[in-house]
Amino acid sequence: MSELEEVMVKGDEELLGEHLGVFTARSTERRILKAAQDGGIVSAVMIYGLEEGKFDGVIASVTDPDDPEEPWKPRPVVITDPDEVLEAAGTKYTYCPNVSVLKEAVRRYGCERVAMVGTPCQIRAVRKAQLLPVGMRHVPDKIELLIGIICMENFPYEGLKTMVEQLCGVWMREVAKMDIGKGKFWVYTDDGEVKTIPIDETHPFEGEPCHVCTDYCAELSDLTAGSVGSPDGWSTVIVRTEKALELLNEMVEQGLLEVKSIEEVKPGLGLVEKLAQAKKSKNQKEIEERKELGLPEPGKVHEQL
Amino acid sequence: MVRLAYVQLAGCCGCLVSLADTYERLLDILDEVELVYCQTLMDEREVPECDVVLVEGAVCLNHEECVEEARELEEKAETIVALGACASTGNFMRYSRGNEQSAPTHEAFVPLTEVVDVDYAVPGCPPAPEAIERFLTLLLEGKTELLEPFAKLAEGKTEYCGCDLMYHVVNKNMCMGCGTCAAACPTRAIEVVDGRPVVNEDRCIKCGACFTQCPRTIWPGDEAIKELVMGGEEE
Amino acid sequence: MSERAEIQPTTRHEGHAKLVLYVDDEGYVERAFYLNTSAIRGFEAMAKGRPAEFVQVAVMRICGICQATHGTASAEAFERAMGIEPPRDGRLLRELCALGNRIQSHVLHQLLVLDDFVEDEKEKVEAVKRIQQIRKIGQYVVDVVGGEGIHPPNIRIGGMAENISESARKRLYRRLREARELMEEQHEFMKEVVERFAEENDLDMDEFGRHDQPFLATHPTYGDPDRLDLDRVVEVLPIEYYGEEHKEEAYEHNGQIPLYDGVPVEVGPRSRYVVFDGVDPRGVLYIHILRSQETLAAIDRCLNILEELNTSGKTLAEWEPRAGTGVGVHEAPRGTNVHIARVNEKGIVEDYRIIAASTWNFPVVEKAIEGEHQDYAEVIMRCYDI
Repeated sequence: MSELEEVMVKGDEELLGEHLGVFTARSTERRILKAAQDGGIVSAVMIYGLEEGKFDGVIASVTDPDDPEEPWKPRPVVITDPDEVLEAAGTKYTYCPNVSVLKEAVRRYGCERVAMVGTPCQIRAVRKAQLLPVGMRHVPDKIELLIGIICMENFPYEGLKTMVEQLCGVWMREVAKMDIGKGKFWVYTDDGEVKTIPIDETHPFEGEPCHVCTDYCAELSDLTAGSVGSPDGWSTVIVRTEKALELLNEMVEQGLLEVKSIEEVKPGLGLVEKLAQAKKSKNQKEIEERKELGLPEPGKVHEQL
Repeated sequence: MVRLAYVQLAGCCGCLVSLADTYERLLDILDEVELVYCQTLMDEREVPECDVVLVEGAVCLNHEECVEEARELEEKAETIVALGACASTGNFMRYSRGNEQSAPTHEAFVPLTEVVDVDYAVPGCPPAPEAIERFLTLLLEGKTELLEPFAKLAEGKTEYCGCDLMYHVVNKNMCMGCGTCAAACPTRAIEVVDGRPVVNEDRCIKCGACFTQCPRTIWPGDEAIKELVMGGEEE
Repeated sequence: MSERAEIQPTTRHEGHAKLVLYVDDEGYVERAFYLNTSAIRGFEAMAKGRPAEFVQVAVMRICGICQATHGTASAEAFERAMGIEPPRDGRLLRELCALGNRIQSHVLHQLLVLDDFVEDEKEKVEAVKRIQQIRKIGQYVVDVVGGEGIHPPNIRIGGMAENISESARKRLYRRLREARELMEEQHEFMKEVVERFAEENDLDMDEFGRHDQPFLATHPTYGDPDRLDLDRVVEVLPIEYYGEEHKEEAYEHNGQIPLYDGVPVEVGPRSRYVVFDGVDPRGVLYIHILRSQETLAAIDRCLNILEELNTSGKTLAEWEPRAGTGVGVHEAPRGTNVHIARVNEKGIVEDYRIIAASTWNFPVVEKAIEGEHQDYAEVIMRCYDI
């Protein structure tokens, strides 16, 4: 049994989705950790995959905090050079249409082994594109790895801006990092200042379409990463497919990842499961309420036409 | 073995080319069926009785042979599949309006779904080779549950075009801005702006690819994805 | 006294058509009619009153085998109408995209005619496999450069929507070199089977299917409106061309018949070789060999373009609508494809004309069939890749 498999545990698959195991991890590379949101898992996997030729392109989102018009507004990119991966590091708390560049990756970049990082809904979109690729000519077999991100909901850009500027009192241009954790929305500024608001205050700014999603852990990913459940500077990783496990095993063997059992850390897997349950119950209720109003159920819009 | 016919009505042959774009797998696909009619590929000159017919192209109501050819399929074929947007949703043929010098009266072009009782419709202009292959596999394996969306689309209720994407996804509070529609659009008519699609109507041809590909409109079920995609089948 | 024979529908080509043959007692064709029986979707009429951008997207859908040529000829027509100059790299990419299509289309045609020349199943399967490998590379070019292998949306009025990446350029180069090797094999195969067919059937390669019509071509690999004198082109209705005595046939033909200096002209691979290389192979079977040779030339030109291309160059000109008329000409796999657009100051199409490549060859097919035995009528027709 590999070092990684020794620390892996299984959680509740009803809540986390089917998986081979869960663990907590961080990158061993300082440059990655410095740029990353938490443990730098997504960046580390992408860099490793590109360097080893396992992927020839990765889809991620980049933001420009200094954009003259819309600072911190993300846009999707296709990265083929491992040195450029860290430009995309860090969580973005607003929409970024990553799937929109999927075809571009296999067309104008000519990629044959694409990895994509995405929210649970984006991972679902790509899986459907693989199963029923009506408008996805020659895309399905080019998908090499899907990295999911644990996600409770997302915010429209103007909503996020209101949270940062009006509620936290920080100019968007001063923001160095944003985070959600420990029941709060956090804004770090370039000067090292930290502002927080209780998470409850962000609810009015959540994107409504997120409220019909019951997928917290990107249940159809190859592997999922997120901060929830692990201590600061570490990430919780859920491995679902053999392909992902093999890749992570290699990374651990080569000393690129430091791994621990999630049972040894706080707050631990229980929190991930609790929040997954919360998202599922709350949003299932929302779906039922919408149905009563005559609105379509997600995935069944065509049935109403 | 399933007797398969391929019929082209008023179309461009692009859907057949798409099927041919399965490249090295084309021969394997054709090995799974008995191809009994395909005017572009073989010398059979009349559509025989068959189990499945794939039909590409629209029906020209002003062209007697075309209407007859379409109608006869109800007698000849057990299962009728509208392949591609012209047969499924109408496609850009919705803009046809006659008065062409060489056949001024050819003006009414409608999708097959409006003329005959179609069992399944696969939109797209053209549908991706992998989509045609998947559809045929599901059909041959009798996985009717997964074919249900295609059966629903065959009712031909609307074009499933860029407008429908707005009316039935964005307007219904369903769009989470993933960008699938923009990637799926064969004319690149869609741009995602501030997390929602903007459809350039000058480029939208009403092919149905965006609506059909959207993960919020039609969801095939997690189990199907785990079995057919994540089960390692794609490798 | 000649007898009337019909072949309907003719097979193994795109679209719907029929042959009406008047044959003598021994079955030799005295008069042939090759009639397009497809419904007329009316692209020219559909264009009127619509924005130029829509029209350029729609007309690609005239043909699902050679979409790139219609997209290109249309874009060229609008550019000339509105005084738009595509950037150098956009122009190069556009040529590359359409040549990728030419590669796949030419060998697809070789797949369709296989049954005319090959009986042995094993030989056929091998050929189909090779053709599919070549098609895959041709389509890869169109996918990467044009955005979609079928109906490439990157072809735009003003150039191409985007450049390709440097890594894609390298991949294309590598794949096209593979294609060249495969195509050399395929070319030898075509020569062999066509010559074998002639020999086995006792046909004189130089005489079989011969006609004396002139040849028209504007460019070896792209298209050049300056080499097409539109004043010498006239499109006539079938009834004018066939005359009252052949009313029955004339009314069955959906489409107009383009004539150059008042007579039908051949377009396509052989025409391009006649016009630009000065060869003059009159037997119709040579078209198969020249098409094959032209596929090799297309691959070579693709490789040259990849060398010439600047992958960070601009590909799309910005443009404002303005009133004007323009002619776009592109050499489709099947021959000279002409689009003529008239737009108003808002960029709305006021008039649109298309002379699709195959329409030139319809009356030429008739000439080539006439004099030959009726059993060969479809074989001759298929030389033209209708």
